[in-house]
Amino acid sequence: MSARNPCAPAGISGYARTVQDSIISIDRLTVELGGNPVLRDMRLTVSQGEIVAVIGPNGCGKSTLLRCLAGLQPVTSGEVLVFGRPPADDTAFWRRVSLLGDDPAWYPGLTAREHLELMSTVHARPRMAVEAALEVFALVERADAPPLNLSTGQRQRLCLAAALLRPSSLLLLDEPERGLDVGFRARLAGLLHEYTAEGGTVVLATHDQDLASHARQVSPSGATAA
Amino acid sequence: MSERPAPTARGHHDMTESVGSVRAVRAFLWSRRRARPSLLDRYVTGFGLAMLAAVFGTPVTSTLEGLNLQIDPSRTGAGVALVALALAGFLATARAAGPVLLPSPDASWLLLSPLNRRQLLGPTGRMLVLVAVMAGALLGLGLVMALGAPDPIVWRVLGALALGVSAAVGGMALAVLGQASQSWQVWLTVVTAALMALAVLAVSGRLRTVLALAANAPLPAVTAAASGAAAVAAFLVGRAWVALDRIPTRALVTASTRGGHVANAAVVLDPGALTWIAEDNHWRARRLTSRRWPALPAPLALAWQDWRRLGRRPGRLAAMFALAALPAVLAQAGGPPPVLGGAVLAGALAVAVTGTSGARRDGDNPALARLIGVGHRQALAARAILPALLGGAWATLALVWVSVLTGAFSGTWWWLGLPVAPALAAAALRMAGRSPVDHSAPVLDTPGGPVPTGPLIWAFTGIDLALIGCLPAVAALFSAPARPGTFLAVQAVAGALVLAGYLWRARPRTAQETVTGPATKGTAQAT
Repeated sequence: MSARNPCAPAGISGYARTVQDSIISIDRLTVELGGNPVLRDMRLTVSQGEIVAVIGPNGCGKSTLLRCLAGLQPVTSGEVLVFGRPPADDTAFWRRVSLLGDDPAWYPGLTAREHLELMSTVHARPRMAVEAALEVFALVERADAPPLNLSTGQRQRLCLAAALLRPSSLLLLDEPERGLDVGFRARLAGLLHEYTAEGGTVVLATHDQDLASHARQVSPSGATAA
Repeated sequence: MSERPAPTARGHHDMTESVGSVRAVRAFLWSRRRARPSLLDRYVTGFGLAMLAAVFGTPVTSTLEGLNLQIDPSRTGAGVALVALALAGFLATARAAGPVLLPSPDASWLLLSPLNRRQLLGPTGRMLVLVAVMAGALLGLGLVMALGAPDPIVWRVLGALALGVSAAVGGMALAVLGQASQSWQVWLTVVTAALMALAVLAVSGRLRTVLALAANAPLPAVTAAASGAAAVAAFLVGRAWVALDRIPTRALVTASTRGGHVANAAVVLDPGALTWIAEDNHWRARRLTSRRWPALPAPLALAWQDWRRLGRRPGRLAAMFALAALPAVLAQAGGPPPVLGGAVLAGALAVAVTGTSGARRDGDNPALARLIGVGHRQALAARAILPALLGGAWATLALVWVSVLTGAFSGTWWWLGLPVAPALAAAALRMAGRSPVDHSAPVLDTPGGPVPTGPLIWAFTGIDLALIGCLPAVAALFSAPARPGTFLAVQAVAGALVLAGYLWRARPRTAQETVTGPATKGTAQAT
């Protein structure tokens, strides 16, 4: 993994070139929430096939950065480009971007398997079959349970299965390790590598050092880890 | 300074004494509440109650005076059926609520302790009796309005009130007993089913003679019936009081948690959360078997979930369509055409709303919708099919029932369900997609008191579209023309236009608008 500093100043021509080549480019991003600056003058570029781990203590702006990338958080100043244009919370954007955040509102009356079946039916070319996804995410035995009856970790695995089953070019994951046991955390890194090997790009906010060690690490506060 | 006794050799004995002293615990909690009701608070409560009595006293008195009218015997059956259905609904609600529950903090801290269970649940029991007495009084009034009062009205009203209160209090006691033991649960089911059967028989006219006898029963017979009912109710209340400490803790905790969520939803005035709670509670308790998802185009595949959910609750579907007979019962009981029309359209809209769970979930928390990535407008168009079908079919069936039982609205009227269906679907989807109540909306000062516009706007969102879209149908039902063909044609155009306009104007709620939704609902889901 590359360990270049995302906060290093880039020349104007260099920035323009980077924008063209990159999946994500952020320039002088500042976000204030309730008058408090959460992100300040942040710069980041992410190329296709990269895994970028956003790390840092609670409240440093990891989730805010992901929300900015998903077009869900208005920026105070600066520029955020995803696929060369500002991210928009619309259908065209979500066809290319897969976002995993907090526990979603599961559809009532559908089982875990049916949620994945729905995801598979709606997307013309799913990345994996439903049965395979249930196997990979260790949900076979709980496939007929409504998601609300699953444990926290199982629900998180179902979220990850849904996010990774559907085709996408960019995967945004907010603390994907939440509720997962150690064994599955290790497997998750492998799944993300498979995703990027197919040409996808991953940005994840995480507190898991092992998971982050598989990625280029950046910190919203400006400091960059190795 | 401290009043706490120092640990002594008698410590264990002291603790044993304190165990079971629910009064001491409540006094302790009461003394630490931030705001204890002051004299002024009590005055305001008393004044409010006096004002309520003054405001509603006159209508109640005039209603009682009006009861001296002779009731048309052909309408008695329908009236009694409505009263029986109301009592069955009361029992079903009591059963669904618990009915014995505690405030959530009490359930967490006091229930799982060695405190005397009956003393702990005593206040809840008294509250249930109060609720039952009030519901019973309304049922009694309904009964006397259905049967009429040919002679001294006061005794008839008192007799009916005694019967109504006895039935409601006895029913509530039965629900409490049902919470404590499975065998009483069966009895509760039997009574509810019997009330439904009574309603059907009363509507069918087979009880005409019995009801005529009941309406003209001599006063001693009325007194005997009321006394008998009161005795049965007292017996059941006694058994329920004894059974209070036999109610399984698990049942109490479940009911209290559910009640806590309902109370939270009521406090933050987000009635939408209640639907989430009800849905989640239902499906979490169900054992499901996955079935293959049909290979449909993306928007229809997304909408298919509502169809599947509907298919998984056949009993609910059957009950909804059985209730299509209600407007007919209302018509038989003498309901005027505007009330009848309102009942048909309101019922059809309520049924249409049951087919919009998917749209409501995605509106409140669009995380899954984003993963699915189907266009908002296409998804809505696909999701409009089921509520249109449900609403239209229910309206048609209701009008068929009305024409079969009363002879009104026959022939061409049956087709009214078809042209109102698109407008009902649009209204149902608009209701499903509305934001939580906006508490920052201004409060209007009116002569009747302050009116918060936030809840008002929330309540009318969706109904507004139904009113606009069904205007020709409303006009037709109100004026009841002999040949409603023109109305139906205009309604067909209006319905299609309203749905098309709604879909054209539809846009998903922004990320900022959905912040309140999932946050509120998350509480319900986290349990």
